[in-house]
Amino acid sequence: MIREPPAFFHRGPSPLARVTFFTLASIAFMIADHRFHALETVRLSLSALSYPIQQVAALPGEGVARFADYFASQDRLLRENRELRAEVLDQSAAAQEAKLLKAEVAHLTAMTSGHSRYAENGIVAEVLYAARNPFTRKIVVDKGLTSSVRAGMPVIDGSGVVGQVTNVNTLTSEVTLVTEKDQSVPVMVVRNGLRAIAVGSGKDGSIDIPFMPVSADVQTGDVFVTSGIDGTYPPGLVVAEVTSVQKNAAYVFAKISAKPAAGVDYYRYVMLLPLPAQGAPAPQTKAEEAPKKTAKERARARRQP
Amino acid sequence: MRPADLTPVARDVMKGPASLGVIFFSLVGAYLLAVLPWSGAWLLARPDFVLLVVVFWVLHEPRAIGQGAAFALGLLMDVSDSMLLGQHALAYVVAVFIVQVFRVRILAFGLAEQTLHVLGVTFVASGVTLLLNLLLGADFPGLAYFVSPVLTALLWAPVNWVLHSSVVRRRRMAP
Repeated sequence: MIREPPAFFHRGPSPLARVTFFTLASIAFMIADHRFHALETVRLSLSALSYPIQQVAALPGEGVARFADYFASQDRLLRENRELRAEVLDQSAAAQEAKLLKAEVAHLTAMTSGHSRYAENGIVAEVLYAARNPFTRKIVVDKGLTSSVRAGMPVIDGSGVVGQVTNVNTLTSEVTLVTEKDQSVPVMVVRNGLRAIAVGSGKDGSIDIPFMPVSADVQTGDVFVTSGIDGTYPPGLVVAEVTSVQKNAAYVFAKISAKPAAGVDYYRYVMLLPLPAQGAPAPQTKAEEAPKKTAKERARARRQP
Repeated sequence: MRPADLTPVARDVMKGPASLGVIFFSLVGAYLLAVLPWSGAWLLARPDFVLLVVVFWVLHEPRAIGQGAAFALGLLMDVSDSMLLGQHALAYVVAVFIVQVFRVRILAFGLAEQTLHVLGVTFVASGVTLLLNLLLGADFPGLAYFVSPVLTALLWAPVNWVLHSSVVRRRRMAP
Protein backbone atom coordinates (compact mmCIF):
# COMPACT_ATOMS: atom_id res chain seq x y z
CA MET A 1 0.00 0.00 0.00
CA ILE A 2 2.68 2.48 1.02
CA ARG A 3 5.78 2.15 -1.10
CA GLU A 4 8.00 5.09 -0.41
CA PRO A 5 11.24 5.83 -2.22
CA PRO A 6 14.30 5.98 0.01
CA ALA A 7 13.88 9.20 1.95
CA PHE A 8 16.23 12.14 1.50
CA PHE A 9 15.41 13.31 4.97
CA HIS A 10 15.00 11.39 8.15
CA ARG A 11 11.27 11.26 8.87
CA GLY A 12 11.01 8.87 11.77
CA PRO A 13 8.89 5.74 11.72
CA SER A 14 6.62 5.05 8.74
CA PRO A 15 2.92 5.93 8.92
CA LEU A 16 2.07 2.25 9.20
CA ALA A 17 4.38 1.81 12.19
CA ARG A 18 2.93 4.93 13.78
CA VAL A 19 -0.69 3.89 13.24
CA THR A 20 0.06 0.50 14.76
CA PHE A 21 1.64 2.14 17.79
CA PHE A 22 -1.16 4.64 18.32
CA THR A 23 -3.88 2.02 17.78
CA LEU A 24 -2.34 -0.15 20.46
CA ALA A 25 -1.95 2.92 22.69
CA SER A 26 -5.61 3.88 22.35
CA ILE A 27 -6.74 0.32 22.98
CA ALA A 28 -4.55 0.30 26.10
CA PHE A 29 -6.16 3.60 27.17
CA MET A 30 -9.63 2.17 26.64
CA ILE A 31 -8.91 -0.94 28.66
CA ALA A 32 -7.26 1.05 31.44
CA ASP A 33 -10.20 3.46 31.58
CA HIS A 34 -12.97 0.88 31.25
CA ARG A 35 -11.64 -1.92 33.43
CA PHE A 36 -9.44 -0.24 35.98
CA HIS A 37 -10.57 3.43 36.02
CA ALA A 38 -6.87 4.15 36.09
CA LEU A 39 -6.63 7.33 34.04
CA GLU A 40 -8.35 9.80 36.33
CA THR A 41 -5.30 12.08 36.31
CA VAL A 42 -5.30 12.25 32.50
CA ARG A 43 -9.01 12.99 32.51
CA LEU A 44 -8.71 15.61 35.24
CA SER A 45 -5.82 17.45 33.64
CA LEU A 46 -7.41 17.42 30.16
CA SER A 47 -10.70 18.71 31.54
CA ALA A 48 -8.90 21.44 33.48
CA LEU A 49 -7.01 22.36 30.30
CA SER A 50 -10.19 22.64 28.23
CA TYR A 51 -12.28 24.32 30.93
CA PRO A 52 -11.72 27.93 29.72
CA ILE A 53 -12.70 27.00 26.16
CA GLN A 54 -15.77 25.17 27.43
CA GLN A 55 -16.72 28.27 29.41
CA VAL A 56 -16.41 30.43 26.31
CA ALA A 57 -18.52 27.94 24.35
CA ALA A 58 -21.24 28.10 27.01
CA LEU A 59 -21.44 31.91 26.81
CA PRO A 60 -23.87 32.32 23.85
CA GLY A 61 -26.39 29.89 25.35
CA GLU A 62 -26.21 31.62 28.73
CA GLY A 63 -26.63 35.00 27.09
CA VAL A 64 -29.77 33.88 25.29
CA ALA A 65 -31.17 32.39 28.50
CA ARG A 66 -30.49 35.63 30.45
CA PHE A 67 -32.05 37.68 27.67
CA ALA A 68 -35.14 35.48 27.72
CA ASP A 69 -35.32 35.67 31.52
CA TYR A 70 -35.13 39.44 31.43
CA PHE A 71 -38.04 39.72 29.06
CA ALA A 72 -40.13 37.00 30.70
CA SER A 73 -43.68 38.21 30.73
CA GLN A 74 -45.09 39.41 34.02
CA ASP A 75 -48.14 37.33 33.33
CA ARG A 76 -46.10 34.16 33.35
CA LEU A 77 -44.27 35.14 36.51
CA LEU A 78 -47.53 35.89 38.31
CA ARG A 79 -49.00 32.59 37.23
CA GLU A 80 -45.91 30.72 38.36
CA ASN A 81 -46.03 32.55 41.66
CA ARG A 82 -49.64 31.61 42.23
CA GLU A 83 -48.97 27.99 41.40
CA LEU A 84 -45.95 27.87 43.68
CA ARG A 85 -47.93 29.38 46.58
CA ALA A 86 -50.65 26.79 46.12
CA GLU A 87 -48.00 24.10 46.10
CA VAL A 88 -46.42 25.43 49.29
CA LEU A 89 -49.77 25.28 51.08
CA ASP A 90 -50.30 21.83 49.72
CA GLN A 91 -46.97 20.60 50.96
CA SER A 92 -46.79 22.40 54.28
CA ALA A 93 -49.21 19.98 55.90
CA ALA A 94 -47.15 17.04 54.71
CA ALA A 95 -43.97 18.80 55.76
CA GLN A 96 -45.22 19.34 59.31
CA GLU A 97 -46.21 15.73 59.56
CA ALA A 98 -42.81 14.74 58.22
CA LYS A 99 -41.16 16.99 60.82
CA LEU A 100 -43.04 15.25 63.55
CA LEU A 101 -42.11 11.84 62.22
CA LYS A 102 -38.52 12.89 61.83
CA ALA A 103 -38.41 14.07 65.43
CA GLU A 104 -39.81 10.74 66.53
CA VAL A 105 -37.31 8.83 64.44
CA ALA A 106 -34.46 10.95 65.79
CA HIS A 107 -35.67 10.23 69.30
CA LEU A 108 -35.89 6.50 68.61
CA THR A 109 -32.52 6.27 66.91
CA ALA A 110 -30.96 8.25 69.75
CA MET A 111 -32.40 5.72 72.15
CA THR A 112 -30.91 2.83 70.25
CA SER A 113 -27.65 4.80 69.96
CA GLY A 114 -27.70 4.25 66.23
CA HIS A 115 -26.47 6.71 63.69
CA SER A 116 -28.37 8.22 60.85
CA ARG A 117 -27.10 6.53 57.71
CA TYR A 118 -27.59 9.62 55.61
CA ALA A 119 -26.35 13.13 56.21
CA GLU A 120 -28.87 15.93 56.02
CA ASN A 121 -27.59 18.31 53.43
CA GLY A 122 -27.05 17.82 49.77
CA ILE A 123 -25.19 19.97 47.27
CA VAL A 124 -27.32 22.01 44.91
CA ALA A 125 -25.88 22.10 41.40
CA GLU A 126 -26.91 23.67 38.13
CA VAL A 127 -27.18 21.51 35.04
CA LEU A 128 -24.71 22.87 32.50
CA TYR A 129 -25.51 20.75 29.47
CA ALA A 130 -26.38 17.26 28.35
CA ALA A 131 -23.19 15.30 27.68
CA ARG A 132 -22.26 15.46 23.99
CA ASN A 133 -22.30 11.72 23.58
CA PRO A 134 -24.97 10.07 21.42
CA PHE A 135 -24.38 6.68 23.02
CA THR A 136 -25.10 7.46 26.65
CA ARG A 137 -27.53 9.48 28.75
CA LYS A 138 -25.54 11.80 30.95
CA ILE A 139 -25.71 15.40 32.09
CA VAL A 140 -22.91 17.65 33.29
CA VAL A 141 -23.42 19.76 36.43
CA ASP A 142 -21.41 22.68 37.73
CA LYS A 143 -20.06 21.20 40.96
CA GLY A 144 -16.94 19.08 41.11
CA LEU A 145 -14.07 18.07 43.33
CA THR A 146 -13.81 21.61 44.72
CA SER A 147 -17.34 21.26 46.13
CA SER A 148 -16.42 17.82 47.51
CA VAL A 149 -18.58 15.89 45.05
CA ARG A 150 -17.79 12.18 45.06
CA ALA A 151 -18.49 9.57 42.42
CA GLY A 152 -21.50 7.51 43.36
CA MET A 153 -23.58 10.28 44.93
CA PRO A 154 -27.31 9.98 44.14
CA VAL A 155 -28.80 12.95 42.29
CA ILE A 156 -32.40 14.11 42.70
CA ASP A 157 -34.56 16.98 41.54
CA GLY A 158 -37.85 18.30 42.92
CA SER A 159 -39.84 15.30 41.80
CA GLY A 160 -37.59 12.27 42.00
CA VAL A 161 -34.35 10.48 41.33
CA VAL A 162 -32.36 11.85 38.39
CA GLY A 163 -29.38 9.52 38.47
CA GLN A 164 -25.97 9.07 39.99
CA VAL A 165 -22.65 10.91 39.79
CA THR A 166 -20.33 8.72 37.75
CA ASN A 167 -17.38 10.95 37.01
CA VAL A 168 -15.99 13.93 38.90
CA ASN A 169 -13.80 16.64 37.38
CA THR A 170 -12.30 19.61 39.16
CA LEU A 171 -15.19 22.01 38.63
CA THR A 172 -17.83 19.87 36.95
CA SER A 173 -19.14 16.35 37.28
CA GLU A 174 -21.02 13.91 35.09
CA VAL A 175 -24.33 12.45 36.18
CA THR A 176 -25.57 9.25 34.54
CA LEU A 177 -29.35 9.37 34.24
CA VAL A 178 -31.59 6.58 35.49
CA THR A 179 -32.73 6.06 31.89
CA GLU A 180 -29.19 5.09 30.79
CA LYS A 181 -28.95 1.51 29.65
CA ASP A 182 -28.16 -0.90 32.51
CA GLN A 183 -28.21 1.88 35.13
CA SER A 184 -30.09 0.19 37.95
CA VAL A 185 -31.77 1.44 41.13
CA PRO A 186 -33.20 -0.82 43.85
CA VAL A 187 -36.84 0.14 44.25
CA MET A 188 -40.06 -0.94 45.89
CA VAL A 189 -43.73 -0.43 45.12
CA VAL A 190 -45.23 2.16 47.47
CA ARG A 191 -48.61 0.39 47.55
CA ASN A 192 -47.45 -2.98 48.82
CA GLY A 193 -43.71 -2.81 49.50
CA LEU A 194 -42.81 -5.24 46.73
CA ARG A 195 -39.09 -4.92 46.02
CA ALA A 196 -37.63 -4.80 42.53
CA ILE A 197 -34.81 -3.32 40.53
CA ALA A 198 -35.46 -0.50 38.07
CA VAL A 199 -33.13 -0.65 35.09
CA GLY A 200 -32.73 2.12 32.52
CA SER A 201 -33.86 1.11 29.07
CA GLY A 202 -31.45 3.27 27.08
CA LYS A 203 -34.37 5.20 25.62
CA ASP A 204 -35.41 8.65 26.73
CA GLY A 205 -38.23 8.69 29.26
CA SER A 206 -38.48 4.97 29.90
CA ILE A 207 -37.35 2.59 32.64
CA ASP A 208 -37.80 -1.19 32.69
CA ILE A 209 -38.55 -3.38 35.69
CA PRO A 210 -37.12 -6.73 34.61
CA PHE A 211 -37.29 -10.12 36.32
CA MET A 212 -40.70 -9.65 37.94
CA PRO A 213 -42.76 -12.86 37.91
CA VAL A 214 -46.00 -12.81 35.99
CA SER A 215 -47.84 -13.22 39.28
CA ALA A 216 -46.24 -10.10 40.82
CA ASP A 217 -48.70 -7.55 42.13
CA VAL A 218 -47.80 -4.56 39.98
CA GLN A 219 -50.41 -2.39 38.30
CA THR A 220 -50.33 0.50 35.89
CA GLY A 221 -50.02 3.69 37.92
CA ASP A 222 -48.00 2.12 40.74
CA VAL A 223 -45.21 4.32 42.03
CA PHE A 224 -41.74 2.93 42.58
CA VAL A 225 -39.61 4.55 45.29
CA THR A 226 -36.03 3.72 46.25
CA SER A 227 -35.90 0.93 48.78
CA GLY A 228 -32.59 2.00 50.26
CA ILE A 229 -31.22 -1.51 50.55
CA ASP A 230 -28.25 -0.73 48.32
CA GLY A 231 -26.80 1.75 50.79
CA THR A 232 -26.43 4.40 48.08
CA TYR A 233 -29.87 5.85 47.53
CA PRO A 234 -31.71 6.95 50.67
CA PRO A 235 -35.07 5.15 50.94
CA GLY A 236 -38.28 6.79 49.81
CA LEU A 237 -37.22 8.83 46.79
CA VAL A 238 -39.66 8.55 43.90
CA VAL A 239 -38.06 6.83 40.91
CA ALA A 240 -40.77 6.01 38.38
CA GLU A 241 -44.43 5.43 37.72
CA VAL A 242 -45.57 2.27 35.96
CA THR A 243 -47.01 3.00 32.53
CA SER A 244 -47.66 -0.49 31.20
CA VAL A 245 -47.71 -4.03 32.52
CA GLN A 246 -47.84 -6.91 30.05
CA LYS A 247 -48.42 -10.28 31.66
CA ASN A 248 -48.08 -13.06 29.16
CA ALA A 249 -48.12 -16.58 30.57
CA ALA A 250 -45.87 -17.69 27.73
CA TYR A 251 -42.97 -15.81 29.33
CA VAL A 252 -41.45 -16.30 32.74
CA PHE A 253 -41.36 -12.61 33.54
CA ALA A 254 -43.85 -9.80 33.19
CA LYS A 255 -42.89 -6.92 30.92
CA ILE A 256 -43.16 -3.76 33.01
CA SER A 257 -42.29 -0.29 31.71
CA ALA A 258 -42.26 2.85 33.78
CA LYS A 259 -41.83 6.57 33.28
CA PRO A 260 -39.12 8.32 35.33
CA ALA A 261 -40.59 10.68 37.92
CA ALA A 262 -37.84 13.28 37.69
CA GLY A 263 -37.90 15.59 34.70
CA VAL A 264 -34.95 13.72 33.30
CA ASP A 265 -34.62 16.05 30.33
CA TYR A 266 -35.76 19.48 31.40
CA TYR A 267 -34.67 20.46 34.89
CA ARG A 268 -32.22 23.23 35.58
CA TYR A 269 -31.14 22.54 39.17
CA VAL A 270 -30.50 19.22 40.83
CA MET A 271 -29.34 18.15 44.26
CA LEU A 272 -26.43 15.81 44.87
CA LEU A 273 -27.08 13.81 48.01
CA PRO A 274 -24.12 12.82 50.16
CA LEU A 275 -23.10 9.21 50.28
CA PRO A 276 -24.07 7.33 53.45
CA ALA A 277 -21.82 8.43 56.30
CA GLN A 278 -21.04 4.88 57.25
CA GLY A 279 -22.38 2.11 55.15
CA ALA A 280 -23.01 -1.31 56.54
CA PRO A 281 -20.01 -3.53 55.87
CA ALA A 282 -20.35 -5.45 52.65
CA PRO A 283 -21.21 -9.10 53.24
CA GLN A 284 -18.36 -11.50 52.82
CA THR A 285 -18.38 -13.38 49.60
CA LYS A 286 -18.10 -17.13 49.61
CA ALA A 287 -14.61 -16.98 48.22
CA GLU A 288 -13.47 -14.81 51.12
CA GLU A 289 -15.11 -17.01 53.72
CA ALA A 290 -13.53 -20.25 52.64
CA PRO A 291 -10.45 -19.94 50.49
CA LYS A 292 -10.55 -22.59 47.81
CA LYS A 293 -8.58 -25.66 48.69
CA THR A 294 -5.84 -26.46 46.33
CA ALA A 295 -5.86 -29.78 44.52
CA LYS A 296 -3.06 -31.01 46.79
CA GLU A 297 -5.03 -30.26 49.95
CA ARG A 298 -8.12 -31.91 48.55
CA ALA A 299 -6.16 -35.02 47.70
CA ARG A 300 -4.66 -35.08 51.22
CA ALA A 301 -8.13 -34.76 52.76
CA ARG A 302 -9.36 -37.65 50.66
CA ARG A 303 -6.45 -39.88 51.69
CA GLN A 304 -6.93 -39.26 55.39
CA PRO A 305 -10.02 -41.05 56.64
CA MET B 1 -14.95 12.39 -16.53
CA ARG B 2 -12.65 15.31 -16.98
CA PRO B 3 -8.94 14.89 -16.40
CA ALA B 4 -7.77 15.48 -12.86
CA ASP B 5 -6.92 19.04 -11.99
CA LEU B 6 -3.27 19.06 -11.05
CA THR B 7 -2.97 22.69 -10.03
CA PRO B 8 -3.05 22.13 -6.26
CA VAL B 9 0.17 20.14 -6.51
CA ALA B 10 1.85 22.94 -8.41
CA ARG B 11 0.48 25.39 -5.89
CA ASP B 12 1.90 23.28 -3.06
CA VAL B 13 5.37 23.51 -4.47
CA MET B 14 5.25 27.26 -4.32
CA LYS B 15 3.56 27.83 -1.01
CA GLY B 16 5.31 28.77 2.18
CA PRO B 17 4.67 27.00 5.47
CA ALA B 18 1.73 28.04 7.63
CA SER B 19 2.80 29.34 11.00
CA LEU B 20 2.29 27.12 14.02
CA GLY B 21 0.13 29.86 15.53
CA VAL B 22 -2.37 29.59 12.68
CA ILE B 23 -2.50 25.82 13.09
CA PHE B 24 -2.95 26.09 16.85
CA PHE B 25 -5.68 28.71 16.74
CA SER B 26 -7.58 26.93 13.97
CA LEU B 27 -7.64 23.83 16.18
CA VAL B 28 -8.79 25.88 19.18
CA GLY B 29 -11.56 27.35 17.03
CA ALA B 30 -12.65 23.90 15.85
CA TYR B 31 -12.67 22.65 19.45
CA LEU B 32 -14.73 25.67 20.49
CA LEU B 33 -17.35 24.82 17.86
CA ALA B 34 -17.33 21.19 18.95
CA VAL B 35 -18.02 21.97 22.63
CA LEU B 36 -21.00 24.24 22.05
CA PRO B 37 -23.96 22.81 23.99
CA TRP B 38 -25.14 20.40 21.30
CA SER B 39 -27.89 18.03 22.39
CA GLY B 40 -30.55 15.71 21.07
CA ALA B 41 -30.89 15.61 17.27
CA TRP B 42 -28.35 18.44 16.95
CA LEU B 43 -25.80 16.25 18.69
CA LEU B 44 -26.28 13.48 16.13
CA ALA B 45 -25.86 16.02 13.35
CA ARG B 46 -22.84 17.76 14.90
CA PRO B 47 -20.03 17.86 12.34
CA ASP B 48 -16.64 16.75 13.62
CA PHE B 49 -14.91 20.13 13.30
CA VAL B 50 -11.71 19.01 15.00
CA LEU B 51 -11.26 16.06 12.64
CA LEU B 52 -11.88 18.30 9.66
CA VAL B 53 -9.21 20.81 10.68
CA VAL B 54 -6.77 18.03 11.55
CA VAL B 55 -7.31 16.47 8.11
CA PHE B 56 -6.71 19.84 6.48
CA TRP B 57 -3.41 20.35 8.25
CA VAL B 58 -2.27 16.78 7.64
CA LEU B 59 -2.85 17.41 3.95
CA HIS B 60 -1.18 20.80 3.82
CA GLU B 61 1.35 20.73 6.66
CA PRO B 62 2.25 17.06 7.04
CA ARG B 63 5.42 17.86 8.96
CA ALA B 64 3.61 19.92 11.59
CA ILE B 65 0.62 17.71 12.40
CA GLY B 66 0.55 13.94 12.43
CA GLN B 67 -0.82 10.98 14.24
CA GLY B 68 0.57 12.06 17.61
CA ALA B 69 -1.35 15.33 17.53
CA ALA B 70 -4.45 13.47 16.32
CA PHE B 71 -4.12 11.08 19.25
CA ALA B 72 -3.81 13.92 21.78
CA LEU B 73 -6.75 15.83 20.30
CA GLY B 74 -8.78 12.61 20.30
CA LEU B 75 -8.15 12.20 24.04
CA LEU B 76 -9.25 15.80 24.57
CA MET B 77 -12.47 15.14 22.65
CA ASP B 78 -13.06 11.97 24.67
CA VAL B 79 -12.83 13.93 27.91
CA SER B 80 -15.09 16.74 26.77
CA ASP B 81 -17.66 14.37 25.23
CA SER B 82 -17.63 12.17 28.36
CA MET B 83 -16.65 9.11 26.41
CA LEU B 84 -14.31 6.28 27.27
CA LEU B 85 -10.74 7.56 26.92
CA GLY B 86 -9.24 6.47 23.61
CA GLN B 87 -12.31 6.21 21.37
CA HIS B 88 -11.93 9.48 19.53
CA ALA B 89 -8.18 9.02 19.71
CA LEU B 90 -8.36 5.75 17.77
CA ALA B 91 -10.82 7.18 15.25
CA TYR B 92 -8.65 10.25 14.60
CA VAL B 93 -5.44 8.24 14.33
CA VAL B 94 -6.99 5.88 11.77
CA ALA B 95 -8.43 8.83 9.82
CA VAL B 96 -5.08 10.65 9.79
CA PHE B 97 -3.32 7.48 8.67
CA ILE B 98 -5.66 7.18 5.66
CA VAL B 99 -5.09 10.84 4.80
CA GLN B 100 -1.31 10.41 5.08
CA VAL B 101 -1.35 7.42 2.75
CA PHE B 102 -3.54 9.13 0.14
CA ARG B 103 -2.15 12.63 0.68
CA VAL B 104 -0.63 13.25 -2.73
CA ARG B 105 -3.60 11.69 -4.47
CA ILE B 106 -6.13 13.82 -2.55
CA LEU B 107 -4.18 17.02 -3.18
CA ALA B 108 -4.19 16.26 -6.91
CA PHE B 109 -7.96 16.46 -7.02
CA GLY B 110 -10.27 19.47 -7.13
CA LEU B 111 -12.54 20.50 -4.29
CA ALA B 112 -15.50 18.25 -5.24
CA GLU B 113 -13.38 15.11 -5.47
CA GLN B 114 -11.53 16.07 -2.31
CA THR B 115 -14.92 16.28 -0.56
CA LEU B 116 -15.66 12.71 -1.61
CA HIS B 117 -12.31 11.57 -0.22
CA VAL B 118 -13.00 13.40 3.05
CA LEU B 119 -16.43 11.74 3.15
CA GLY B 120 -14.72 8.36 3.10
CA VAL B 121 -12.37 9.41 5.88
CA THR B 122 -15.17 10.78 8.11
CA PHE B 123 -17.21 7.63 7.55
CA VAL B 124 -14.29 5.49 8.66
CA ALA B 125 -13.77 7.68 11.75
CA SER B 126 -17.47 7.56 12.71
CA GLY B 127 -17.54 3.86 11.97
CA VAL B 128 -14.64 3.23 14.36
CA THR B 129 -16.39 5.14 17.17
CA LEU B 130 -19.70 3.39 16.46
CA LEU B 131 -18.10 -0.05 16.41
CA LEU B 132 -16.27 0.57 19.70
CA ASN B 133 -19.47 1.73 21.40
CA LEU B 134 -21.46 -1.22 20.07
CA LEU B 135 -18.75 -3.54 21.37
CA LEU B 136 -19.10 -1.87 24.78
CA GLY B 137 -22.82 -2.63 24.80
CA ALA B 138 -24.39 0.63 23.68
CA ASP B 139 -27.49 0.67 21.50
CA PHE B 140 -27.27 1.72 17.86
CA PRO B 141 -28.29 5.40 17.93
CA GLY B 142 -30.13 5.13 14.62
CA LEU B 143 -29.24 5.92 11.03
CA ALA B 144 -29.24 9.61 11.97
CA TYR B 145 -25.79 8.87 13.38
CA PHE B 146 -24.44 8.99 9.83
CA VAL B 147 -25.70 12.53 9.28
CA SER B 148 -22.65 13.82 11.13
CA PRO B 149 -19.97 12.37 8.79
CA VAL B 150 -21.89 13.61 5.75
CA LEU B 151 -22.18 17.12 7.19
CA THR B 152 -18.51 17.02 8.15
CA ALA B 153 -17.56 16.23 4.56
CA LEU B 154 -19.85 18.96 3.22
CA LEU B 155 -18.00 21.44 5.45
CA TRP B 156 -14.74 20.59 3.69
CA ALA B 157 -15.19 23.34 1.11
CA PRO B 158 -15.85 26.15 3.67
CA VAL B 159 -12.99 24.97 5.86
CA ASN B 160 -10.71 24.92 2.84
CA TRP B 161 -11.81 28.41 1.95
CA VAL B 162 -11.15 29.71 5.48
CA LEU B 163 -7.85 27.98 6.12
CA HIS B 164 -6.39 28.04 2.64
CA SER B 165 -5.81 31.77 2.74
CA SER B 166 -3.15 31.15 5.36
CA VAL B 167 -1.14 28.89 3.07
CA VAL B 168 -1.85 30.38 -0.33
CA ARG B 169 -1.16 33.98 0.48
CA ARG B 170 2.53 33.56 -0.29
CA ARG B 171 1.88 32.05 -3.71
CA ARG B 172 0.54 35.36 -4.98
CA MET B 173 3.80 37.03 -4.07
CA ALA B 174 5.79 34.32 -5.81
CA PRO B 175 6.16 34.76 -9.59
